[in-house]
Amino acid sequence: MRVKVAVFWGCCILASQYAYEMSVREVLPKLGVELVDLREALCCGDPVRSVNDFAANYLSARVLALANLTGLPNLLVPCNRCHFTISEAKRAVERDEKVREKIVGMLKEEGLEYNPNIKVWHVIDLLHDCVGLKSVGKAVVKPLKGLKLASHVGCQIIRYSDLGRVDDAENPRKMDELIRATDAESVDYNEKLDCCGSHLMLSHPDTALSLAGGKVKAVQGLCVDGLVVSCPDCGLMFDSKQKEAGTTVGAKLNLPVLYLTQLLGLALNVEQEKLGLQLNQSPVDQLLSKVSA
Amino acid sequence: MGLTDLMSMAKPNLESREKILRKLRGRELINCFQCIKCTSGCTALKLLELKPHEIEKLVNFGFVDELAASDIIWTCVTCLKCVQRCPQKASPYHVIVALRNLAVEREAKVPEAFMKAVSQILETGLAEAYQKVTTRKMEACDRESLKLPKIPAPKEGFQAVFLKALEER
Repeated sequence: MRVKVAVFWGCCILASQYAYEMSVREVLPKLGVELVDLREALCCGDPVRSVNDFAANYLSARVLALANLTGLPNLLVPCNRCHFTISEAKRAVERDEKVREKIVGMLKEEGLEYNPNIKVWHVIDLLHDCVGLKSVGKAVVKPLKGLKLASHVGCQIIRYSDLGRVDDAENPRKMDELIRATDAESVDYNEKLDCCGSHLMLSHPDTALSLAGGKVKAVQGLCVDGLVVSCPDCGLMFDSKQKEAGTTVGAKLNLPVLYLTQLLGLALNVEQEKLGLQLNQSPVDQLLSKVSA
Repeated sequence: MGLTDLMSMAKPNLESREKILRKLRGRELINCFQCIKCTSGCTALKLLELKPHEIEKLVNFGFVDELAASDIIWTCVTCLKCVQRCPQKASPYHVIVALRNLAVEREAKVPEAFMKAVSQILETGLAEAYQKVTTRKMEACDRESLKLPKIPAPKEGFQAVFLKALEER
């Protein structure tokens, strides 16, 4: 099966979480998903939500209008936060006539057209529901047998259910199933639904880091080979800031953290450099040597 | 700051309460019956003592001005567990967002990073600046050296329209 989707990266991926972008660009086409970039880079409106709800909705609607320019009915949003912000905006535009009228008018000023029928996907449901576990499993050329992993789905793609989310709010399974499709093991653990804390980096950075540190410490205690994430904010907190997070919880953290698409890339035997694995700041070498052994 | 201290001398302001209900585009908030499911699962409770059920009750009582001026509304980590688990659809998360918006309108103390993100978006379209990163072997990289495509900033008209959007209440 081949499918062509527009892709919106948001800020965090484009500005610093390059490994996620590289691995998505590398792996998805190999699984039959062709990616088409939007004309412009734009914020989804997430940090603006706290300042002005309407302006946040406008930014998200503008993202959908940019997606509309590609003529494609599906938009991939690999960031959990962007996925939530855009989903909320879609709902506000749909439900509130006044908001809709204003936003449609503002977009018109820029020659853009709002399209309510664009379906928003995340990497997880695109691979699980659209590409399918069977196809993912079939594409695996280097089974990751023997790897024991913990998954972190993140908050905003699973809550709140009324909005229509990527997976179940209290018992998300899709990411684990994708991990298992590579022949690796995905363990269940008590802290699975704990938040990475990234939003608090804006107002209470120390607390944000201790939330991240607490979770990494707990996962480290499970004696797994690594923690798999699929959101740039979670990647930032658990991987890029792992050392700092460790100091806030008084623990020496050395847990390999990698993106789901990096893991899939390893199973598809993509060169590590193309997956951006040199950019992970956590000690992924341990895990990589186990994979290549 | 404990919220009980902050309301002890205050008088309810029902006009401000109405403002929050308008922002919420629904009146489910008044159905909150203090079951405390939100607080018992709150990520920010453990470290920052955010108690969403108290926020709900205070808004319902009309102590909105106090809340909008308080630091407590900026401790929410937006994990959305409260929205998911509320049996009354009284979504503390959305109430907190409405209070934050009101705080901005009133020029109360707002964490700087939020306003900075807004001005960054005005300037470049993105809330964050492109960063140079390093590999584990300490080699510096950027989008160009990683062969990632350049994605252009929004076209000229964007800034004016976004500014207009920011004026909406």
